[in-house]
Amino acid sequence: MAGKGQSKQPAGQREITYYNGSSPDLDETVRWHRRQVEQMKKRSRSIWEQPWGYREGFIVAAGIVFSGLLLQLTVANIQSALFASPLSGIFGVLFVTGLLVVHFLLPRNSTVRWLSGVYAAVPAIAILLLLCIILGLIPQFPHNTGNEQLPSTRFTPLGWYRMTTSWPFVLLCFYILIILGLTILKRTGQKQSFRDIGFYLNHLGLFLALLGGLLGSADLERLTMHVSEGEIEWRAKNNSGDIKELTLAIQLDTFLIEEYPPRLVLVENETERILPAVRPESYQFEAVGKTARFAGVTVEIVDYLPHAALFRDSTFLNVVPMMMEGATTAIKVRVNETAGNQPVEGWVSNGSYLFPHSTLQVSENTSIAMPPQEIKRYRSYITLYTEKGTARQAIIEVNRPLQVEDWMIYQYSYDDEKGKYSDTSVFELVRDPWLKVVYTGIYMLMAGALFLFIAGPKKGPQEKKFFSARKKQTKLLIEKSKFTDSQSNSI
Amino acid sequence: MNWDSFIYFAIASLLFWAAGAAAAYKCRNKTIPALLTVTGLLIFALFIAGLWHLLERPPLRTMGETRLWYAFFLPVAGLLTYLRWNHKWILSFTTLLSAVFVMVNITSPDIHNKALMPALQSPWFAPHVIIYMFSYAILGAATLVALYYLVRGKKISNPERLMLMTDELVYAGTACITLGMLMGAIWAKEAWGHYWSWDPKETWAAATWLGYMVYIHYRLKKNASYKMSMIILLFAFVLLQICWYGVNYLPSAQQSIHTYS
Repeated sequence: MAGKGQSKQPAGQREITYYNGSSPDLDETVRWHRRQVEQMKKRSRSIWEQPWGYREGFIVAAGIVFSGLLLQLTVANIQSALFASPLSGIFGVLFVTGLLVVHFLLPRNSTVRWLSGVYAAVPAIAILLLLCIILGLIPQFPHNTGNEQLPSTRFTPLGWYRMTTSWPFVLLCFYILIILGLTILKRTGQKQSFRDIGFYLNHLGLFLALLGGLLGSADLERLTMHVSEGEIEWRAKNNSGDIKELTLAIQLDTFLIEEYPPRLVLVENETERILPAVRPESYQFEAVGKTARFAGVTVEIVDYLPHAALFRDSTFLNVVPMMMEGATTAIKVRVNETAGNQPVEGWVSNGSYLFPHSTLQVSENTSIAMPPQEIKRYRSYITLYTEKGTARQAIIEVNRPLQVEDWMIYQYSYDDEKGKYSDTSVFELVRDPWLKVVYTGIYMLMAGALFLFIAGPKKGPQEKKFFSARKKQTKLLIEKSKFTDSQSNSI
Repeated sequence: MNWDSFIYFAIASLLFWAAGAAAAYKCRNKTIPALLTVTGLLIFALFIAGLWHLLERPPLRTMGETRLWYAFFLPVAGLLTYLRWNHKWILSFTTLLSAVFVMVNITSPDIHNKALMPALQSPWFAPHVIIYMFSYAILGAATLVALYYLVRGKKISNPERLMLMTDELVYAGTACITLGMLMGAIWAKEAWGHYWSWDPKETWAAATWLGYMVYIHYRLKKNASYKMSMIILLFAFVLLQICWYGVNYLPSAQQSIHTYS
């Protein structure tokens, strides 16, 4: 994008040319003077006078945000559902056609040329960055949140609590798409070089990913489905609570949760804080007979029951092995807190939906406790039925969704209250018809990033000179060393 | 191998890196500083490998663990820059910055915790975080160059060469954050159902990326002011810091699904 744009410097920009210590060659000096003269002319350029520079870029981008704000104040957030298929497809085709028409009908128009260059791009990216910073600072709410649920501050009418569906944000994204599209089209008309591979991968990739993402958000469907063990379900809810009947059905055969081994901690009785307060320590259970030291206490593992029932009478806690639903984990420990004190022995448990958790007091202020076990994995064994009459068995777990027709089925959640005894699995079903477009863009961008990593920045004549000089220098050094080597050998 | 033994490995590595940085000033040959730095890196890598083995999961989950990788990659970035561009000072700066992150880890180490929640159990986990930490280190080196330029100003004899070096660092670093971000997007599609959810971490990652896009495009014009370019770089690095850990302290991030420690 540089090269040809050389003469279009905006007013007030300083041209810096360095000659790297060596004397400049003649044609470079001539070019340099020509540029200086042109710049003298440009300095008197008033605003909006062509060719445009950064100043106009900022004004146009800010103008787009401002128009967006006016729209926002009059019609509030964009209801993306209104633009759902087939409108999104039609809009996409019209948008691309529009860019092609502008490119081919107005090839010499200076505004179009400006739009397909750095002077328009940099301010647009900078303003989008500004909106992103606001988006990152202000807590965001789901796009279907009612206005009455939003905090009522001066940002509310501006749409900043749901930035990604606000008019300024979406309009600015489309403005950037226009710049991207026109820039790509302009480049196709220029002499192609090796570096253009990187240019097309990055710019076309971003164009596809951004356009697919923007239009796709109107067609994206995300539903949740609760299924109990042994039951079949074909109805799912969207996030507004509407029920939708699907052309597929899920039968939950089994739902399994695996947990990490239990951990023991020392807590302060009053506050239930894990000690030491500055850097809490814990011990993960390994086996019976082990001794561990944490938070200043020595704990010996005396017994371990992965499935236990707790019964408490007036004075004692009785712990018995019990293979039943709702059984809890229990560990018997012997604690020697300080030398001289009598060791304390007893059961510790993290409880379940049937039994309360149980701690072991070891001193006036402290107790040994067992926090709830962390979840290692959870998965659903399902049978999947489709309208065509096919049935198949599958396993769905986190990070391993299942693709069925247009839908991706995800392991989403389970019955929190019952924990590892949950007999209900919650799935999320996602349909995104634009995913292929977005993924094409993403993979192009990844290839483009690799290209940039290898190829690096474009090198101008100055830099090329530096590199060739360095190469020569290295060659000289090598030859010199060879020379001295051969000399020393001959001696 | 656990965090208690970190201090020994860290001090040994830092001594080697410091020796490498000093040797860069003393030696005419680049081999000795390079060898010293690489030895330090190997010692540090040994600790990371040991921790990985002990935890039975990649040590990439907590902030302290990411700091560990950052402290490792900074001298890598410094060494590559030194070998390619001959700038003697870069090794001392990356060693110093690495020492800061090592110190933070010594004074407030993480708790041992082997647990890795289901969402993190993915083949994307390690490449996504490692490539991000690598790019943060390269862009950290670029930021050091920017500071060097802004402080030394007119005293720099060959500013256009320094700018070219900065461009190379930024291109490499930005390429890596692009890869890291997009790997994250593909992973998010597998784990959370959508490739981009504007989670606060994602928003700040996008802001960081846009910051470096401003730099790269601004630099395309040959009349770009060097000072302005360097200021853009500093600003982009502030965004990067917010994305990395600053986001944890923002009110907007209270419901973030990117918090693991």
